[in-house]
Amino acid sequence: MEIPYTYKARPDTGLYNAKVGIWLFLASEIMLFGALFSAYILLRVSAPVGFWPDVALAWPRGLLNIPIGTFNTAVLITSSVTVVLAWAALKMNNFARFRVYMVITVLCAFAFLGIKSFEYNDKFSHYVIRLQDGKALTGHIEVDGKHPRFWNFSDQWSVAKLAEQKVAKIKVEMDPERDVHGHVKAHGSHDHEVREVAVSDIVFMGSYTPATHPFFAVYFLITALHGLHVLGGALVLGYFAFPGAKMWKSNPEQFINRIEVGGLFWHFVDLVWIFLFPVVYLL
Amino acid sequence: MQSTASHAHTSATDSSHGHAHHEPGFFSKYIFSTDHKVIGIQYGVSALLFLLFGFFLMLAMRFQLANPGKPVPLVGPLLEKVLGEDMAKAGVMGGDLYNSFGAMHGTIMVFLAIVPVLFGAFGNYVTPLQIGAPDMAFPRLNMASFHAYFLGGVVMIASFFTPGGAARSGWTSYSPLASVTDLVNRFDGQTYWLMGMVLLITSSLLGSVNFIATIIQLRCRGMSWMRMPFFVWAQFVTGFLLLLAFPPLEAAGLMQLMDNLFGSSFFLPQGLVVSGSPLQVSGGGSPLLWQHLFWFLGHPEVYVLILPAIGIVTEVISNNIRKPLWGYKSMVYSVMSIGFLSFIVWAHHMYLTGMGTKVATFFQTTTMMISIPSVIILTALFISLWGGSIRFNSASLFALSFLPMFGIGGLTGLPLGFNASDIFLHDSYYVIGHFHYVVAPGTMFAVFAGIYYWFPKITGRHMNELLGKLHWAGSLFFMNCVFAPMFIQGFKGMSRRMSDGGTTYFGLGVDPGVLKLNNMIFWSAIGLGICQIPFIINFFSSIFMGKRAASDNPWQATTLEWSTPTPPPHGNFLQEPVAYRGPYEYSVPGAKSDFSPQGDKN
Amino acid sequence: MSLKAFHIVFVAASVILMAFLSGWSFLAYQETHSTEYLVWSLCAASSVVGLVIYGRFFLRKLRNISFL
Ligand code: HEM
Ligand SMILES: [Cu+2]
Repeated sequence: MEIPYTYKARPDTGLYNAKVGIWLFLASEIMLFGALFSAYILLRVSAPVGFWPDVALAWPRGLLNIPIGTFNTAVLITSSVTVVLAWAALKMNNFARFRVYMVITVLCAFAFLGIKSFEYNDKFSHYVIRLQDGKALTGHIEVDGKHPRFWNFSDQWSVAKLAEQKVAKIKVEMDPERDVHGHVKAHGSHDHEVREVAVSDIVFMGSYTPATHPFFAVYFLITALHGLHVLGGALVLGYFAFPGAKMWKSNPEQFINRIEVGGLFWHFVDLVWIFLFPVVYLL
Repeated sequence: MQSTASHAHTSATDSSHGHAHHEPGFFSKYIFSTDHKVIGIQYGVSALLFLLFGFFLMLAMRFQLANPGKPVPLVGPLLEKVLGEDMAKAGVMGGDLYNSFGAMHGTIMVFLAIVPVLFGAFGNYVTPLQIGAPDMAFPRLNMASFHAYFLGGVVMIASFFTPGGAARSGWTSYSPLASVTDLVNRFDGQTYWLMGMVLLITSSLLGSVNFIATIIQLRCRGMSWMRMPFFVWAQFVTGFLLLLAFPPLEAAGLMQLMDNLFGSSFFLPQGLVVSGSPLQVSGGGSPLLWQHLFWFLGHPEVYVLILPAIGIVTEVISNNIRKPLWGYKSMVYSVMSIGFLSFIVWAHHMYLTGMGTKVATFFQTTTMMISIPSVIILTALFISLWGGSIRFNSASLFALSFLPMFGIGGLTGLPLGFNASDIFLHDSYYVIGHFHYVVAPGTMFAVFAGIYYWFPKITGRHMNELLGKLHWAGSLFFMNCVFAPMFIQGFKGMSRRMSDGGTTYFGLGVDPGVLKLNNMIFWSAIGLGICQIPFIINFFSSIFMGKRAASDNPWQATTLEWSTPTPPPHGNFLQEPVAYRGPYEYSVPGAKSDFSPQGDKN
Repeated sequence: MSLKAFHIVFVAASVILMAFLSGWSFLAYQETHSTEYLVWSLCAASSVVGLVIYGRFFLRKLRNISFL
């Protein structure tokens, strides 16, 4: 006996198997991201006073680049529109148009990932430096005339490592001044002012990585997990656009179903971002 | 969509080889099989092996509790050789080793033995047959699910051999304890544990999607929701529990992994001091967060451990009382309410964390509410026995003794559910007694009942009744000798986590009497182990030499799995099955025999 | 729920997000009086309108496809 309803809908439920499967899968994904969002809320609400938001820096306000985030949001919304249009094109029997829309979708996905890795890179090479007097500086640092690179882990600096290597002074290329919403102040110091800091004045120093503050831990965990979903979705949709499209000849009905299932997943991934963006960038 | 591709594949190889009956090779038949029955057997065999392994871990721990500081007999030198001097010097179990055996016993039993045997083995084998489906909805996902499970098991076992040994922060892996066990080697047992868990969670995700989709989509003609055997209902609800409760643990696991590997502080508060020196982390995390996320899985998980067991017991009992099940519908609605309620009781494991009295009151209320449907199910099963002409065979004896044992487990849960009494009982041996009554003489008995009951369908042969009854009587006796004393120890305040069996707690030289019980428990556990020998002999010898099943339906049962050939071929049914009636129509007045199978037209 | 129905949900969520962004930027404008925020706010508001128009177009275009 063959397995029934692999692509034809079962009359009483009105669904084919894969559609039931993907919705169940998405339900579990909702629980996964839901747990991460709840963890974020709980951590933030129950954080010790002066910790989150940070007294010296008003973190997490102003940490993330809102214009870039907004642009990425637009990219993802576009990709969701094109993936539906690709599916609709197939329904209207227009394979060429399907492929165009699908290619746009996949390009959007990679554009998103490219922009995201630019943001990541910026974070990894940024440092926060807390001084004895309670003030804090942020910016790129220069140790012995060299700029640490994020991809080289032995190049990550901390107070302990500075002491160990007997470094007395470091240079900090300061971030421009920002207002409470994270925007560069119109009348603040724009030029990347460079300041010298004595290591003995530093209480804490760390790059913008998970170990430095729970906000970064949350930010990197959620966005990385989301990024993996984007990557996975892009690979699958790309497969459907080219090698997998052979099925359009052999079994068009099932092929349309596959695109629908892929599109559902893609919409979910984008919807996660729609929640993620305001929660980690704006609030 | 899965199946068409794989079918296309088989037919392609068939034609290229030029003969119609191409026998699949060993690998595609037993390792990479997509047949739900083979996968069920794979799950069953691996889970029973893990069960045995978990049992041995426990025996070693029990020896230590009864004889603190004495070398473990027989395996002591081996432990020292394999795990190193730090762990078992001169064959004596060290504190660390005790802790890691404890953590791994819990983990292995829950995630690698009981869930796989209930959901993976019985669920896989029986569910599609009972709803008249040719296979699962996504056979290749089913295979992937087993492989992920197996890999997860391998990772868990491998963790015993990492420097520092396996995870040792309890099966609940509470942070910050779990994040500070090894501050130098971050790739320690706990990290292995987390990676193993991610694999196991993936496996159960694939499995649960598959089960639910199969039950929704592949019911045969006439198999309406209210004609589904109760076992299928139990699997259905279990599927939802696994689907929705596991992801938060996965999230928590990823966070703990980040804490371990990247030095983040999801669960580490500020100002943490470990063995006298402050921990070099940013802090600002919340230990309570881990507990919430863990128990959000943890409580539904305990229902994952019991619902399929109730399902098996229902099948076995209804078949052996030869009369209709009493209150089938109320049982179905109860199991649905349990499924729903089990998502909102989790913090009854956290009364002592200081989360606040209002929260505690809420969870106390929901905990009491969830006992109601549990009691309804148990009552329905008890009432069903009334006036039945009960057949006492090995399967039904196990199923019948499940009822009181599960009853004890459930009733002892009530004092734990009230936060006033739980303050006294929390983290004592009473808790251990409570849940072991549910899982060991409860769930395990259901598993045995299921094995004796479905064995003839799977192999075409019966298991030996005499050995089966020996197995039953011995197990029932020793199970109670092992677990009942724990209630007494718990009332006396004995902590559940002490590697010296409570000597420290009560003070050296002071024995309020309950310490002697450790000895009794140890010897009863040995007895329990010995009682499993008849089962093991019976199991293997019956595969080859057992009495042949007289027909495809040797128990004269009504559900659809008995209308297939024995063992069912690939694709299960010879003709398209149709369900003409409800699942438990025994002794219908006017029928020609005392059972009216679902698949028979008249 | 078909892709069509989910798309409607998605567009609705995007509308809400853009409305939120618009409000957020406007508040920031009131606090800082920097015109950049005002521009952001207006852009977000107009994308709300754009998304609603798109949603109606989408519904009309896929009139014949089921919601299930
Ligand atoms: C319906 C009645 C039940 C009630 C009211 C109940 C209540 C409780 C409570 C309040 C605790 C926490 C005790 C503490 O740590 O202080 C607990 C622990 C536990 N229960 Fe139950 N329970 C019930 C049924 C079950 C069932 C059916 C299972 C299935 C296996 C189960 C398994 C467990 C386990 C494994 C633990 C211990 C977890 C740990 O701390 O390691 N319980 N129960
Ligand atoms: Cu519980």
